[in-house]
Amino acid sequence: MDNVIVGRHISGQFNEDLESVINQVMQMGGLVEQQLSNALNSVSENDEGLAKRVLANDYQVNQMEVSIDDSCTRIIAKRQPAAGDLRLILAILKTIADLERIGDEAIKIAKVALESYSGKQQDLLVNLDNLGRRVLEYLQAALDAFTRMDVDTAIKAHSTDDKINREYEALMRQLMTYMMEDPRSIPQIMSVIWSARALERIGDRCQNICEYIIYFVKGKDVRHTTAEDFKNL
Amino acid sequence: MNKWFKSGSPWIWLSAGGVSISLISVLGLLWLIASRGLSYFWPAELYQFDMVDEKGIATEVIGEIYDRERIPASQLAHLELNLDPEQTSIERLLIKTGNRELVSLDFRWILAPQIITTSTPEKLVVIERRTNGNFYGFIKQLILDGKPVAFSRFDELLERVDNFQEQLDKLQKVDIGAINYQLERLRLKQRKHDLDGTLTSALEEEFRQQSNSLNKEYVQLEEKLMQLRNNIARDALVVTAMNGEEITINFEHILKLSFNNQLSIIDKINVFFGQIIDFVLDDPREANTEGGVFPAIFGTVLMVLLMTVIVSPLGVIAAIYLHEYAGKNALTKLLRIAVINLAGVPSIVYGVFGLGFFVYMVGGSLDQLFYAENLPGPTFGTPGVLWSAITLAILTLPVVIVSTEEGLSRIPASMRHGSLALGATKIETLWRIILPVASPAIMTGIILAIARAAGEVAPLMLVGVVKMAPNLPLDGNFPFLHLDRKFMHLGFHIYDVGFQSPNVEAARPLVYATATLLVTIIVVLNMTAVKIRNNLREKYHALEQ
Amino acid sequence: MISVTPKTLTGIAPKIDLTNLSPEQVALDIKNLNLYYGDKQALNNITMSIPKGQVTAFIGPSGCGKSTLLRCINRMNDLIDICKVSGEINLHGVNIYDRQVDVAQLRRNVGMVFQRPNPFPKTIYENVIYGLRITGEKNRRVLDEAVENSLRNAALWNEVKDRLFESALGLSGGQQQRLVIARAIAVQPEVLLLDEPTSALDPISTLTIEELINDLKKQFTVVIVTHNMQQAARVSDQTAFMYMGDLIEYSDTNTLFTTPKKKKTEDYITGRYG
Repeated sequence: MDNVIVGRHISGQFNEDLESVINQVMQMGGLVEQQLSNALNSVSENDEGLAKRVLANDYQVNQMEVSIDDSCTRIIAKRQPAAGDLRLILAILKTIADLERIGDEAIKIAKVALESYSGKQQDLLVNLDNLGRRVLEYLQAALDAFTRMDVDTAIKAHSTDDKINREYEALMRQLMTYMMEDPRSIPQIMSVIWSARALERIGDRCQNICEYIIYFVKGKDVRHTTAEDFKNL
Repeated sequence: MNKWFKSGSPWIWLSAGGVSISLISVLGLLWLIASRGLSYFWPAELYQFDMVDEKGIATEVIGEIYDRERIPASQLAHLELNLDPEQTSIERLLIKTGNRELVSLDFRWILAPQIITTSTPEKLVVIERRTNGNFYGFIKQLILDGKPVAFSRFDELLERVDNFQEQLDKLQKVDIGAINYQLERLRLKQRKHDLDGTLTSALEEEFRQQSNSLNKEYVQLEEKLMQLRNNIARDALVVTAMNGEEITINFEHILKLSFNNQLSIIDKINVFFGQIIDFVLDDPREANTEGGVFPAIFGTVLMVLLMTVIVSPLGVIAAIYLHEYAGKNALTKLLRIAVINLAGVPSIVYGVFGLGFFVYMVGGSLDQLFYAENLPGPTFGTPGVLWSAITLAILTLPVVIVSTEEGLSRIPASMRHGSLALGATKIETLWRIILPVASPAIMTGIILAIARAAGEVAPLMLVGVVKMAPNLPLDGNFPFLHLDRKFMHLGFHIYDVGFQSPNVEAARPLVYATATLLVTIIVVLNMTAVKIRNNLREKYHALEQ
Repeated sequence: MISVTPKTLTGIAPKIDLTNLSPEQVALDIKNLNLYYGDKQALNNITMSIPKGQVTAFIGPSGCGKSTLLRCINRMNDLIDICKVSGEINLHGVNIYDRQVDVAQLRRNVGMVFQRPNPFPKTIYENVIYGLRITGEKNRRVLDEAVENSLRNAALWNEVKDRLFESALGLSGGQQQRLVIARAIAVQPEVLLLDEPTSALDPISTLTIEELINDLKKQFTVVIVTHNMQQAARVSDQTAFMYMGDLIEYSDTNTLFTTPKKKKTEDYITGRYG
């Protein structure tokens, strides 16, 4: 597995423990990515079956969070990790919390697909789908950075959040216009707004994951910092 | 068989066998000397033998059975005894007959077949005497002031005489001894002034007066002495020896009288221990062949203690230097090897060295510097207890050095560092920590030194031991401890009594008894040291682990 | 939308800045210290300042020179013939390697506790006052007081107050080590050097000693060498990581154990091959 992250501990058992945790995180990331992608597909293709599968699969994500949490607790208790190892464990713990939330957000999106929309409203869903694809890419980039613990990728991905926020605001304005034009469509639009909101939240969580990567690699806490500080990395 | 070898039991048996052999030989040795030695003190049965010698004359032999042996009959063929021809060997008895004033020899062989009757008459008595050895025979009469009195007053008379004897001894040894000593010192003082050229007529007069007064005192004491002697010589005992000869023994010669055949077992035990105590506390008599060995015990112990006092600080200091201060270089190593090898030099070589260096060179120079008035008579320039102690100290020095060094090197460095880290200097650390902790090892060295020194005789013969020392090295005259005096030693006593005395046969039990005593003393000295060491070890036990 | 520019948030800031200590804050100032065992150099140009009233830990693999450096501070290395030192260690602005310095006096100022408990085979009382006896203190009251104070400071008083005149060798390992600490602080040193003080003790005794170290820093400057990184992390304020005679990294313990600057430090404290 990836020696760059784990390194060569004198204790082979420690190496194995860490590698196994990282593998589980990758797996969980893959699963969450799959969930989000499926949710988005279910919305764009109006596929109720797929949406239901997304709902059904969420327990797997939760299960993985619990199991990774458990592994990390054990590593802390037994190995008393320090420095890089300690930061890695902390980053993993926080990452999986965010991944789990992303999973929850994906469910919210999938729920949109379970509602029926008129033809006109289908246009709205196209916009939502665009935002969704962008967020999915963002998530993929963050997970990719995590896999390689690549600071550059993480920093680059980190700035994507701004674009997503702008797109989200644009979509909101558009949806508000729709609502004003046709108050009867408000309930449906509300659920679109919820999913847009969910996507925006996913973007924030991807940003968090990027910050954890930077924390792990650089040992600096970059949360709640200004753009200038960020550039100084 | 092969399996048995592999199991390892042969080795266990082999090593156990080795231990057994050593143990048996040590115990055997102890048993032999102890049994032979102690039997000397046991009141022997007194026998009266009626016998007919080869010429057909009937005689009477009185005495203790000393030894029995069987000799081949052929050896006695010339005696024409009427023997059973089938008897190939004949028993013969060695009888201690005593009564040296009658017969020149104390001992006499008699052949068992010649004995007609053997009896143990209750009236037979053994009298221990100051001269002429034991007397065996019967009591005839007790004489007081020339008149016969009842024998029942014997104890009373003996006590009276003992009392006088004690006074006599005191007068002779202490009072007259002191006057003689003072006179001698006076003479030396005068001689010193003479040598220094500071002898004025006034001084001379003073010396004369002093010596006159001392002489006067001496004369008075002399008179008292004569009086006592007369008193003692007043009483006598008339006894009959074997073959009916009558002898008068003056009370002044009588030490002890005992009807051995009347003694019960408890009496015998009492006599036994009494004899042992006398042996330990009395002075020797009759060219060491009789009496006690007190001066020899005293000399041995004093010499060993002196030696310990000399060797301990010397050895410890040398070991400390070698271990703590000397550089770890080839010279130190060489020195250490030399020290170890010193232990292997034969002891007589030390004796020769002691005589040549200490006695003649050092002692001779001391005499010239400080005791010139006594010359040509030597003071320290002659063998003495000091030179013996120093010679043995040098002999045992390697042992003390080696075991002290061993002890020093066993002290963990952490202890040393602990002290140094508290701001102690090296010497403070040595004094307060290292030496106390090393003390068990030092004691081990001293134990070994004592064990070696107490048994050493050969070098002492050259540097201080004598057959018979007139005075103990410790007495009541200033300066009390006379290091220049010669002394007696148990080891030498054994050699002297056993092989140099006129009557080797008579002295043999004494040799064993003395040997037992020597072993006992060494064991006691060692045990004391071991006890001290174990106490120290107890105190510092955690460090020995 | 109201945009609020967030201020930079920081974690717990280091108590002091090691790179810029004021003279009053410095207990020991080590400058360009080199040490040779014969031809072999054991310490390479060490420069560091040890702050007053704090616990400074030296960590590093075996043979890295951390114990050697510690022993330099009270000149215990003088005991090794082939050991040569250059450079300075300043205590109160005086170089302790100066010719005029009285080594015994220095060692009273800079106490030391060793790896294995090394009580002297004397009573507990005599052990504690050993240093005072050396200085010639005879006043019984002063001695009694010193014994009680030192034993209390070493958290041992309650356990031994009834058997002060029994042999110190009867104490358990942990108690012995605290006794040795009491012995060291009885002479009122300024600096206390601890050379792996818990490596021979069980975990509970270890914790007791660690707790004690935490109390001791109120009165003394403590320098500790330890193999146990967690221990260094727990007890120290500053940590110095040494490797092959070099001082690799010296910083505030919180920083060193979460975000070490040097790869070697990181590898060592996370247990990786260097």
